Amino acid sequence: MDNLAELLHGFTIAVTVPHLALMAVGVLLGILVGVLPGLGAPNGVSLLLPLTFGMQPVSAIILLSSMYWGALFGGSVTSILFNIPGEPSSVATTFDGYPMARDGRPTTALATAFGSAAFGALIGVILITFLASWVAQVALAFGPAEYFAVYFLAFASFVGMGGAAPIKTVVALAIGFAIAAIGIDTVSGSVRLTMGVDELVKGVSFVVAVMGLFGIGELLVAVEEEFHARAVSSKIDWREVFRAVGRLPRHGVALLRSAAIGCWMGITPGGPTAASFMSYGIARRFSRRGRHFGTGEVEGIISPETADHAAGTSALLPMLSLGIPGSATAAVMMGGLMIWGLNPGPMLFVDSKDFVWGLIASMYVGNIVAVALVLLTVPVFAALMRIPFVVIAPLIVIICVVGAYSVSNSYLDVVMMLGFGVVGYLFKKLFYPLAPLVLAIVIGDKAEDAFRQSMLISKGSLGIFFANKLVTCLIVGGIALLLLPLVLQLARLWRKPAIDTPAQEKVII
Amino acid sequence: MISRRALELATAVLTGSFGVAVIVSSLDNGIGWSSAGVDAGTFPFLTGIIIVLGSLYNLVRGVLPAATLANVPIAITSIELRRLAGLFVPAAIFVAAIPLAGIYVASALYVFAVLAIPRHQSVPRALAMAAATALALYVVFERMFQVSLPHGALAAAFGF
Repeated sequence: MDNLAELLHGFTIAVTVPHLALMAVGVLLGILVGVLPGLGAPNGVSLLLPLTFGMQPVSAIILLSSMYWGALFGGSVTSILFNIPGEPSSVATTFDGYPMARDGRPTTALATAFGSAAFGALIGVILITFLASWVAQVALAFGPAEYFAVYFLAFASFVGMGGAAPIKTVVALAIGFAIAAIGIDTVSGSVRLTMGVDELVKGVSFVVAVMGLFGIGELLVAVEEEFHARAVSSKIDWREVFRAVGRLPRHGVALLRSAAIGCWMGITPGGPTAASFMSYGIARRFSRRGRHFGTGEVEGIISPETADHAAGTSALLPMLSLGIPGSATAAVMMGGLMIWGLNPGPMLFVDSKDFVWGLIASMYVGNIVAVALVLLTVPVFAALMRIPFVVIAPLIVIICVVGAYSVSNSYLDVVMMLGFGVVGYLFKKLFYPLAPLVLAIVIGDKAEDAFRQSMLISKGSLGIFFANKLVTCLIVGGIALLLLPLVLQLARLWRKPAIDTPAQEKVII
Repeated sequence: MISRRALELATAVLTGSFGVAVIVSSLDNGIGWSSAGVDAGTFPFLTGIIIVLGSLYNLVRGVLPAATLANVPIAITSIELRRLAGLFVPAAIFVAAIPLAGIYVASALYVFAVLAIPRHQSVPRALAMAAATALALYVVFERMFQVSLPHGALAAAFGF
């Protein structure tokens, strides 16, 4: 019960007037970036990052994580009211959310979505409360070899379970590693991969990459299609809100199943997008009313929303206890932690108890604040969607330019940001996953250090990765995940040798 | 009009040449094992190899008339291409203008140009929005958060 005592202490940190105010600001900004098509949680959080450098780490993480919750909720608003997913992870919500809203039940759709989202988030936070410190305790005994094995498992799970073409995932990961290696090598102190550009000695900040990949890239994808913001009525009927939330327990099975899928995909770095799609697909297969999915089914809203938020929340678990973020946004937050001088990983639970438990407590409170605020502000943000895209687009470009510049006052960063924008567009267009790329940029250095340190310990023998049970399990699990797509492909060929079934391409961040 | 195949090809060539650059550059740091442990260039060298091999695979997959690609022959239509250029070209000019004009002047001009020239907004409204953008940037960054944004060579010449 140590955890509960720590949690209560966390509440005394999180529930103070300045922190509640920060939560409200964070949630509102989050809804804003969630609603706007070109901006999402990853680059919203990275835009805010430079402004948190002067803050206490607890306050800073509360602001950033609240923004994350807000963005998750905001993405659902536009999915349901406009059939335009504000976030990649809320694409699956459009399938049943929009038809229900169009049939004259927008309040029911919104309330169902927010209610199940809050449930998913709650399960995610409970999981973190009880599991995170335990995982951290186990991880305290890790040496460099175990760390490398965990990193390896994380990257391999992207390839095996990410849903994108495996080789494209591998290329995205490797590019991320190479970008992370640019600049001064932390082990030997020598300068690497600057390719003759002296300014690159400082390395390429993940903020610059995220701004370009998710900001400009997303904008370029969005501008291709003309937006028809045909909103259904965005008026909220408060009595219907409570009735819809009251009906949720009837779908208990769907709620629990989706939360479980979400937590699993959040902890293993599958991310919220993959989680919501997977949850929707499974719900359609197992629901008694599966045939009606796509026409405004309640469970068709519950499943993706619960999984989306459960994944978004539990993505912070591996970030806190192992130093491995479970989603692109968590990766950006983890970059923030390092900039604030904290060392993400098990030592956090020893050195910065206030920070960890303040954050976990704020997740409970922040999600309540988010549900309340999003319900109150739906009409305001719905009105925002009527601002023409041509006005919003240049503003987002300017925000990204200023954001990239302010990381280290460098013009080169701005140019690189624009370059990353083109790459982000190409990758999105061709279904290369972006999340592994960002993740590799953020933790590539640490993975490499862990590898080189283990090699130093073992004097160059790879045997260190099979020296004990734990590390062997992790490495073998990683290799199994890497080979999983190949095995599946072979199995498919063996069963149906004549027909080459095209791999389904999904929307992947 | 750009076909899916051409786009796959271009991207694979792009990632592949990045991989080659990484390999070449990492050789300067030495690869393999020395008295100090794994050399600094080893890890980048390996990632470079993976990038090149993966790109080659993607290249071949992109060129072969596979079932996946046959479904979507056209990746970007000419209308979409025009829209893309309409967003990207002004943005690139904006970024290119920053060292000379500074971020405030450049962003005001940028906002005005993209709103007024294609006649999305009337000239006075576009002017107002451009001025408001530059002012908001100045107040938020230079005043509230004390982040100095580039003022540009022109401003420096006038003594700002």
